[in-house]
Amino acid sequence: MSATPPPSDVELLLRGMHGSLTLDEGRWERVLRIARATGLHARLAANNANNPDLSAVLRRHFLSASRIAAFRSQMVRAELFQLAPLCAVDHPVIVLKGGAYLLQERPMTIGRFVSDVDLMVPRDALRAMEQRLRAAGWQTEELSAYDERYYRDWSHETPPMRYPGHALELDLHHAITPVTGSLAFDPAPLLERSVAIPGTPFRVLAAEDQLLHACVHCFHDGDLALRIRELVDIDALLRESATDDGFWATLLARAEELGLQRPLWYGLHFAITLMACPVPDEVMTALPRPAGLTIQLMDRLVPLAMLPTDPDGPPPLRARLARAAMLARYHLLRMPLHMLLPHLARKATLRLRARIAEKKEAPDDGAP
Amino acid sequence: MIRNAYRILDVGAARLGVASPIAGFHADLDRVYPYHEPTPDDRFADIRVSVLPGSRLRLRGQQASFWSEGARVFEPYPLHSALPLFEWGSNYLLSQRLNAYLLLHAGVVARNDRALILPAAPGSGKTTLSCALALAGWRFLSDEFGIIDMDSGELLPMVRPAPLKNRSIEIIGRRPGAVLGPLYPRTRKGDVAHFVPDRASFLDRHRRAQPRLVVFPAFRAGAPLHCTPLDKAAAAMRLGLNSFNYRALGPAGFAAVVALTRTVKAYELSYGDLDEAIACIDALFRETS
Repeated sequence: MSATPPPSDVELLLRGMHGSLTLDEGRWERVLRIARATGLHARLAANNANNPDLSAVLRRHFLSASRIAAFRSQMVRAELFQLAPLCAVDHPVIVLKGGAYLLQERPMTIGRFVSDVDLMVPRDALRAMEQRLRAAGWQTEELSAYDERYYRDWSHETPPMRYPGHALELDLHHAITPVTGSLAFDPAPLLERSVAIPGTPFRVLAAEDQLLHACVHCFHDGDLALRIRELVDIDALLRESATDDGFWATLLARAEELGLQRPLWYGLHFAITLMACPVPDEVMTALPRPAGLTIQLMDRLVPLAMLPTDPDGPPPLRARLARAAMLARYHLLRMPLHMLLPHLARKATLRLRARIAEKKEAPDDGAP
Repeated sequence: MIRNAYRILDVGAARLGVASPIAGFHADLDRVYPYHEPTPDDRFADIRVSVLPGSRLRLRGQQASFWSEGARVFEPYPLHSALPLFEWGSNYLLSQRLNAYLLLHAGVVARNDRALILPAAPGSGKTTLSCALALAGWRFLSDEFGIIDMDSGELLPMVRPAPLKNRSIEIIGRRPGAVLGPLYPRTRKGDVAHFVPDRASFLDRHRRAQPRLVVFPAFRAGAPLHCTPLDKAAAAMRLGLNSFNYRALGPAGFAAVVALTRTVKAYELSYGDLDEAIACIDALFRETS
C-alpha cells in the first residue's frame, strides 16, 4: 500500500481554487489564514458557498470576505461608470485586468479582489486623456521631479490618479511592458484586436492578449512575493478560454508575433505545476524552453516567493531570499544596468530619508 | 514543527489567539483580562497574531511588533507598550473580518438584555462614557464595536479592556470600583491605561441584548448638558456614518440600519459633566422601557 502524504495547507488552498473542500475546523482555519495572506480568501468563500459541511464560524468568515470582495467589485463598476463619459472618444480605451474581467462578467471575478482600475490608450492620446481626467477632477499624488520623470520616460503607465473620496486608484497605460525592458513592443496590435464591451465606450483585450498580459504582469512586473493570485488568474483565464475554437493555436501565434513566448512559457509552466491546469502537451512543446539551469532555478524560487509561508510567524529566510532574488530579477528585466543602478541607489536614499522623517501609526481606536 | 502556543481569549463575539515570548506582555494581559482562565486551543480563532520582540541591540530601545498571517501589520511599538499594540492591532483586524455583522463604531452597555448604543467618532468621549456607565451599574458590552446580528437585530458583546487616554485615565480611575491596567505613558496616542470590565459583564459575554436606546454623545469641556431627540431619518443617517462597514454592506446594511432605527429612540447628547450625562441617560432609558 502506498502512503500518500497528507496534503499541505498550501496544496489545500490551491485545490480550493477549483472547488469546495471538506476539512475540519482547525485545518480550515489554517487554510483561511494563508488565503488571507495571499488575498485569495474570498475565492475560497465563493467556491464553498454551497458547502454543507461548513461550521457556523466559517460561514460567517466566508460571508464577510464575500461581502468585501463584492463591494470592491462594485466600486470598480462605479469608477468605470464615472469614467465612461470621458472615454467616449475617437481612439480605443482599453480596460485591463480586473476591471476588464468584471466588464466581461467572467465567472473568475466572483470573490476576486480588485484594487485599482487600469486603462490603456494609444501613446499619442495619453496626454490628452490625462488632461481630460484632471479636468474632470481626478488628481495625481504630488510626485518629486525624479519620480515624475521616471514615470514619463521609463514606465508604461502614468503616475496613479485618484478621484477625491474614491478608494480606487486609476492607472493610465500606453503599453503592457516597460518601455526600457527587453520585452518592449509596439502595443498597436493589441488595440487592433481589442473587443468592444456593448453598452459602454470601453474595450478589452482579446482573450489571448489578456492571457499574455497576465503572464507578463506576473513574471516580468514585480517581485512575485505572495503573488500566487496572479497565477490563479492565469489558470482561470486558461480554463475559461480553453474551450474556445482554436484558442491554443491563436495564443501560440500571438506570443510569437509579440515576442512574449518567454512570459507565456512561465505562465503555462507554473499553471501546470502549481494549479494542475490542463494545458495540452503540444502547446508546451511548441514553445521555446528557457535553458535547463534557468528552469531549475525558477522552479525552486518562484513557488518559494509566490506561495504563503507558515502564518504563525515571519516568513523564513529562504522565502525572503527567494523574494529578494525575484525582485532583483524583475529590476534587471525592467531596465539595463547602467540605468538601473543609479535608479535603485536614488530610491534607497529617498526611502531612508522618508523613514527617518515619518512613521506609520496604528489607526485611531482601531478604525480601518 | 512546533506550533506557537497561543493564548486564547474568548471575548464574546470573537475568539482571539495571541502568541508571544514577551513575559511582560503576558503579565499585562493577566491584568487586563483577569477573568480569562486558560482555554484549550482546539477551536477556530477569529484572529491569530504574534507579538514579537525586536532586536535587543536597537539604539533607541527594544521594540515589539505585531504579526498576522506572516506579515507585520503595523510599525513596531516600544517593548513595554506591547499590550496597547495588541489591543489596537487586533481591533483593526476584527473590524476587517466581522462583516457578517453590521459593525457600528460605538460603545454599548445594557441593563439586563436591553441595550444602549453610544455611536461616535474618535474623540467624542465614547470610551470614557461607556466605562462610567459600566461603573454606574450597567452591563459592559463594548467601548468600540456595536456588533449587530442583521438577522435578529440583536447586539453581540465584545468584552475587551477599554483604552482610556490622557485625562480620562484619572476621571475614570478615581470612580469607585474602577479597575485599570498598567499605565503606558507617551504612546503615539498619548498616555493610555485600560479600563477592565467587571466580572459579571465578562461572564455575560455571550449573552445578546436588544437595542432600545441610541445616544450620540459629544463631550466638550465646560459645555452645558443638552439633549435633543433625533427623528428616525436623522438617526439612521448618523448610524450609517458611525459604522465601520455600512457602505460595504450595501442594501443589507441599509436594511439593518433602518430596522435598528425603528426599534430604538435616538438622542444627541452634548455634555461637559460626566455625572450629569449619566443621570440624563438613566432618565431617557427609564422613559423608553
